[in-house]
Amino acid sequence: MKSFEIGIGGISLSLALFVDVTNSKELLELMQAGTLEPEVAFLNASLVPVVFPVLAAAYKTLVAKSRESLTTRTLHSELVYNYSGSKHISESLKRCGISDSTTYILAARFGASSDEMTAIKGHIKGTEIGLDELETRADRAQIHKHYKISVPELGISSVSDAIICRISARDAL
Amino acid sequence: MPPPPPPLTVICSEMELEGIEGSLVLIKQGAEARVFESTFVGRRSVVKERFSKKYRHPLLDSKLTLKRLNAEARCLTKARKLGVSTPALYAVDPVLHALTFEYVEGPAVKDILLDFGLHGIVEERLDDIAAQIGDAIGKLHDGGLIHGDLTTSNMLVRIEDKAVDLYVLERALLSMHSSCGNVLEKVLLDTFGYFIRNMQSDFSSAVKMVFHNGPYPCCIQEILEAVVCNLEQASSSTTKRKKTHNDWMSSSPFSRTR
Repeated sequence: MKSFEIGIGGISLSLALFVDVTNSKELLELMQAGTLEPEVAFLNASLVPVVFPVLAAAYKTLVAKSRESLTTRTLHSELVYNYSGSKHISESLKRCGISDSTTYILAARFGASSDEMTAIKGHIKGTEIGLDELETRADRAQIHKHYKISVPELGISSVSDAIICRISARDAL
Repeated sequence: MPPPPPPLTVICSEMELEGIEGSLVLIKQGAEARVFESTFVGRRSVVKERFSKKYRHPLLDSKLTLKRLNAEARCLTKARKLGVSTPALYAVDPVLHALTFEYVEGPAVKDILLDFGLHGIVEERLDDIAAQIGDAIGKLHDGGLIHGDLTTSNMLVRIEDKAVDLYVLERALLSMHSSCGNVLEKVLLDTFGYFIRNMQSDFSSAVKMVFHNGPYPCCIQEILEAVVCNLEQASSSTTKRKKTHNDWMSSSPFSRTR
């Protein structure tokens, strides 16, 4: 688990990575019912090659919150939505979030205390691993497909930069 | 004589930016926008803030500026898709009319050329830069994009991080079966040396293409084959282009004598 300063209002983002998760269905149900405490974002970790794009999405989320202009219902669902390159809300939440069959999850929470993070880890039935494993476990084919990254683009940019450009420019397109 | 004006640094107060933290240091002011250096989630970044023109009607001004902001973001993503190297876009702020970019380390082409003027031309470097400029503009135009302000002060030469390419292959090496042993590693390292010295950009593109096509190849043999294949394709297409260009040049009645 690691915390990152996003730079708005002194709020940090805590991230924890899990493999071999067996209760995604349960987590999804709890989340949709709104009874999962504390509030947390579950990202499909196969789409995360490195932490930086998630931080960019977090920045965007905090800016929207500070302006009272969230597109989704909660701060954490907004984080998942902002990680997508698509404006379509439900599609983005489905693709960048978790499904019943997801086993590789990145959990994220804004301004989390260590107690809260422990509680979140308690909910997830899986093994926590270090964030440095993100790179090797990322599903590049899925990333290229979801973000529509072309071969010429890969020649001049890293996958991380390609994702960030889509995250930041999404609402301008 | 009046005292010289203070250096152009502006440290932004929280009040100005509606509570969004991060100091901004002004590095340039143009006719359309101010450019600041700042940090974005801990990374060095550049913030380009378009200012509002007071002589315009405020509603019109706001619409125009926003339209230009979005157009810039769109053009940048399109340029990247076409394979033109641009700074990565980290954030777009429609309220402050500001774009946050990656900070690109390196001199402007203008400064490099000025340096050539002072200390003599390095032919190889000049040819390389000219080729890259032509390549980038060609890609833009083929993709239907018009730059609108092509000047050497708008082109940066990024300091290449050679270590990055080695790292990509090192991870592949580490993940392969141990049975291949040290011999291949040594051969590969010698090959790296050769490539880095002579074909760095071709090699890195070839490497990136290998890893684009799905998960990591499972052994060094596959990696080498794929990289060599990509390099051959790349070099055959460039020699073809060079040939046709030279033919055209010699056959044209307006061919210049160099």
